[in-house]
Amino acid sequence: MPPRQHLLGLWLLLTGVLLFSGVGVLLWLDSALKLAAAQRTTIWLLCLLPGVLALVIGMLLEKRLFRPLRQFQVLLARLVAAPDAQSDFPLDGWLSPLQPDLDQIREGWRGDRERTRIAHDEGAAHAAYIQQELEGLLQILDLPLLICDEHQRLLLFNPAARTLFHDQPALGLGRQVSQLLPHTSLSEALHHLPTDGTPRQLLLPGDTRWLRCELRRLDARHGGALIVLHDTTHELEAGQRWRRALAELLPRLRGHTGSMHSAVEALLQAEDNVELKHRLVQAISEESRNLAQRVGELTRLVESQQLSQSALEDTWSNDLFQALQERLATQSIKLTAIGIPVWIRVDGPALLAMLELLILRLSASLNTHSLDVEVLLGNHRVYLDLIWAGSPVSEQLLNQWRTLPLFDDALSPKVSDVLNQHDADLWSLMRKPEARACLRLPVPSSLRGSAPRSTDAELERPEFHDFSIADLPPPDTVQAGTPLTQLEMIVFDTETTGLNLRGGDRIISIAACRIINGRLLAQDSFDQLVNPQRDIPATSTSIHGLRNEDVANAPPIDIVLPRFNQYVGSGVLVAHNAAFDLLAVRMAGDECGLTFDMPVLDTLLLSRALDPTFEGHGLDALAERFQLIFPPGTRHTALGDARVTAELLLALLPRLRARGVNTLEDALALQLRVELENKR
Amino acid sequence: MARVLIVDDEPNILLSLEFLMQQAGLEVDTAETGESALAKIDANPPDLLLLDISLPGISGFDVLERLREQPATRQLPVVMLTAHGREVEKEKGIALGANDYITKPFSTQELVARIEALLGNNNRLE
Repeated sequence: MPPRQHLLGLWLLLTGVLLFSGVGVLLWLDSALKLAAAQRTTIWLLCLLPGVLALVIGMLLEKRLFRPLRQFQVLLARLVAAPDAQSDFPLDGWLSPLQPDLDQIREGWRGDRERTRIAHDEGAAHAAYIQQELEGLLQILDLPLLICDEHQRLLLFNPAARTLFHDQPALGLGRQVSQLLPHTSLSEALHHLPTDGTPRQLLLPGDTRWLRCELRRLDARHGGALIVLHDTTHELEAGQRWRRALAELLPRLRGHTGSMHSAVEALLQAEDNVELKHRLVQAISEESRNLAQRVGELTRLVESQQLSQSALEDTWSNDLFQALQERLATQSIKLTAIGIPVWIRVDGPALLAMLELLILRLSASLNTHSLDVEVLLGNHRVYLDLIWAGSPVSEQLLNQWRTLPLFDDALSPKVSDVLNQHDADLWSLMRKPEARACLRLPVPSSLRGSAPRSTDAELERPEFHDFSIADLPPPDTVQAGTPLTQLEMIVFDTETTGLNLRGGDRIISIAACRIINGRLLAQDSFDQLVNPQRDIPATSTSIHGLRNEDVANAPPIDIVLPRFNQYVGSGVLVAHNAAFDLLAVRMAGDECGLTFDMPVLDTLLLSRALDPTFEGHGLDALAERFQLIFPPGTRHTALGDARVTAELLLALLPRLRARGVNTLEDALALQLRVELENKR
Repeated sequence: MARVLIVDDEPNILLSLEFLMQQAGLEVDTAETGESALAKIDANPPDLLLLDISLPGISGFDVLERLREQPATRQLPVVMLTAHGREVEKEKGIALGANDYITKPFSTQELVARIEALLGNNNRLE
């Protein structure tokens, strides 16, 4: 169907020509013939009739046929692109008799989709159950895990891996492992893993950390591998610090001991050489001083090493008290935790056993069955107070308790052993403000600050695996021939200080999301404010809402763009009206030495190609046409626009396929054709 | 009387060792750095060198290497003296040509016994 403007033009032209030619004929007849009044009226009517008819018929056709046809076109496009869109409008004009048939088709199509969905849901329910169990396991596993396929594309990573790589935009499903860990040794080891599943160990050095990883070939269809990571930076550093300090200290100890030993031997033989004796005594005194100092250093070193090596773990104080309460309940002792809980660094099982023993002793010697327990933040430690109404217990009694074994066993550790392990001690005192006594145990504090994460797994169900990636063509396949539904696409959008990029306007916000395997990944996005290092004009703020103070603390573009580039990886870029956003990114790229010369799809051009007769291909018009929804407040934010653009692209894909546009190459060719037509 | 050169940067041990070696009937000279030890050996070669490994400037190992490179001092008996207790250092000292190796702290008796054994050996070789 030709565009509305063409039809309108044609109609007005025809009407005009008929009217003017009618008037022309009328004037000629009037001058050539001598007409009676009745004849004149007839001729007038005959001459003007064609023009008037064309005018009326045109109006009738537009109202009764062409407008309903255009509506019909929109309804059909929507039915394909967004089958579940609910707000349908009725057909009118001469097409209104088709309404029941259209309704029938629509209901049938929706019903079929619904039935397919139900069948699919039922079929998937069992698999989902197993999947959920495994996901649950992966969620709580502290060990960072990655699974890749034979082409070294990521099929799975767990939350621990996301925490480990939280600063790396290159972590994403379908990404090459080498983008995340660019170590040749790793990619070679992955290629040559033993087929029987025996593990290979690797140490991967980095700028800021050392990762130890264990690689194992998986007996899976995708022929990939499991990578278990372990951040050994802290251990290596601690080990090196300790060995270095020891290597320095021990020879000095030996040296001073040697000097002293020799001096004593010399002194014993010096007999009556008074001057020599005096010098030797001086030497001995000096060396013994040095020795004492070195022994002090050694003690501190050993203590700090013991503290860092022993099995001390971050523990939430309330968890510890709860376990303690359960143990004591069987002994009819009530322990009440008061105050604000904190993280402490303790050997949980040992501390539990010791506290239970101490509380039983306290309860017996104070003759009470109820105690309070509270943790208080000290300077470098946390005080764990067991509180009762009464007076403190004597140091003599505490001394006895220190020697008590934790268990009835000859090899059992004693209370003092657990205290030493925590570099702690025990004392009893009055707590001033409340006039109650307490037994105070200082334990190491933890560096962790906030309360433990909620265990409500429903809150967060991130997408961290997609095994269908393994079915995608190998990464070195020429992208041009890859089906659009199998392409990795990065849909992005920018907000800028204005529209005049060549005149100095700059990016202030850039965001992107990823489509892989025809699916928009919900949790996988890039969203970054940028300090444009110039003022944001008020006219531009009125569009995107970003003010100078919002971006004052944001990094400049030369920090953000390399991260964006990492996020894009080898994906195809997509944007709505890509020419603008691409120019913004390419101009910024010129400044920081990055090129963005990957293929780019433009949803504006694709939409024009599909529906050349429609008016309005702006993001708002298209969102309205295909019933795509911006969550409140996200329109004109880079990420909000990028997400809607991604959904728009996904809505266009089936319609492109219906027109034989299957591969990236096809889409690019179609886009180019529209662009050239527009220029013409 | 056999002459021994003791090289150590710790003045206290030098003081004691000098006296103890004299008591054992040896003629003693001392040096606090590798450089001064090499100069003294050049000027007046001793019968035996008691050489500490950790020295300021060139280390005991460096001194040993230089001595073994020169024909005049290739046979000079050297006892390495060290505060490092690691077995690998002992191996390194012996590999570089030390005749014996003693770890601080040590008893004078043991040191003297080793020195005498080496001097006896050397005498026999001559």
